[in-house]
Amino acid sequence: MVASKDIEIQFRSTPKLLCDVRAVIRSYLTNHGVETDKVQEVVLAVDEACTNSIRHAYSGQDDKLVELSLGSGDGWIELELRDSGVPAPYDRIKRKTDEAIAAAALTPGGLGMHLIYSVFDDVTFTPGETQGNTILMRLRSA
Amino acid sequence: MALELSQVEQGNHCIVMAKGEIDLYSSPQLRDAILKACKAGKDKVGVNLSEVAYMDSSGVATLVEGLQASGGADSFLLVAPSQSVLKVLQLSRLDSVFTIVEQV
Repeated sequence: MVASKDIEIQFRSTPKLLCDVRAVIRSYLTNHGVETDKVQEVVLAVDEACTNSIRHAYSGQDDKLVELSLGSGDGWIELELRDSGVPAPYDRIKRKTDEAIAAAALTPGGLGMHLIYSVFDDVTFTPGETQGNTILMRLRSA
Repeated sequence: MALELSQVEQGNHCIVMAKGEIDLYSSPQLRDAILKACKAGKDKVGVNLSEVAYMDSSGVATLVEGLQASGGADSFLLVAPSQSVLKVLQLSRLDSVFTIVEQV
């Protein structure tokens, strides 16, 4: 992350906790003056990134750890998500064409990446060489 | 917020009423409820999404599955979707795929 970290949380890779993670993100963004509409979009996009870690990197194993950092500075709000699961293949994380987006609707991982790219001003996805994924999602703050 | 589901029958419609949040954790419950409604023997299946405060792409995928299971957009209706549901359908470029009605 470029911005200073304000909050860092670790959570177990279970879908049951996603609503709690969303609450943290929603609260942080609201307190940083992000408009309600944009808060909704960002919460959705980060939730999709968490879902990808649980479903794809960890293949649904619910006893692994996912880390989320939130920070702000220099006109940016940054959210970084890290897992230590299987690195994502390039095909799944690349930007999609409009036709491919609709076709991806039945594969949540694929649609999730589209939502992440749509919502943020800057996205850097770094799959590890042998293990783990880091996704840095950046939003210009007002 | 948990997801609460119920089923009501109105004329030739079987409607799944959803209330709460639809995500990776709760979308399997919605899937079961929609597939059950598809088997109710009515001409049309509807999903009332007016009280859904949050939906992610697993919810979208579940609705697409319902669309396919019920036989297509003529027989599968999204009823009064909340603003947050509409937003995720728009972001997914799928808002034109579904038949959206304000009431049945």
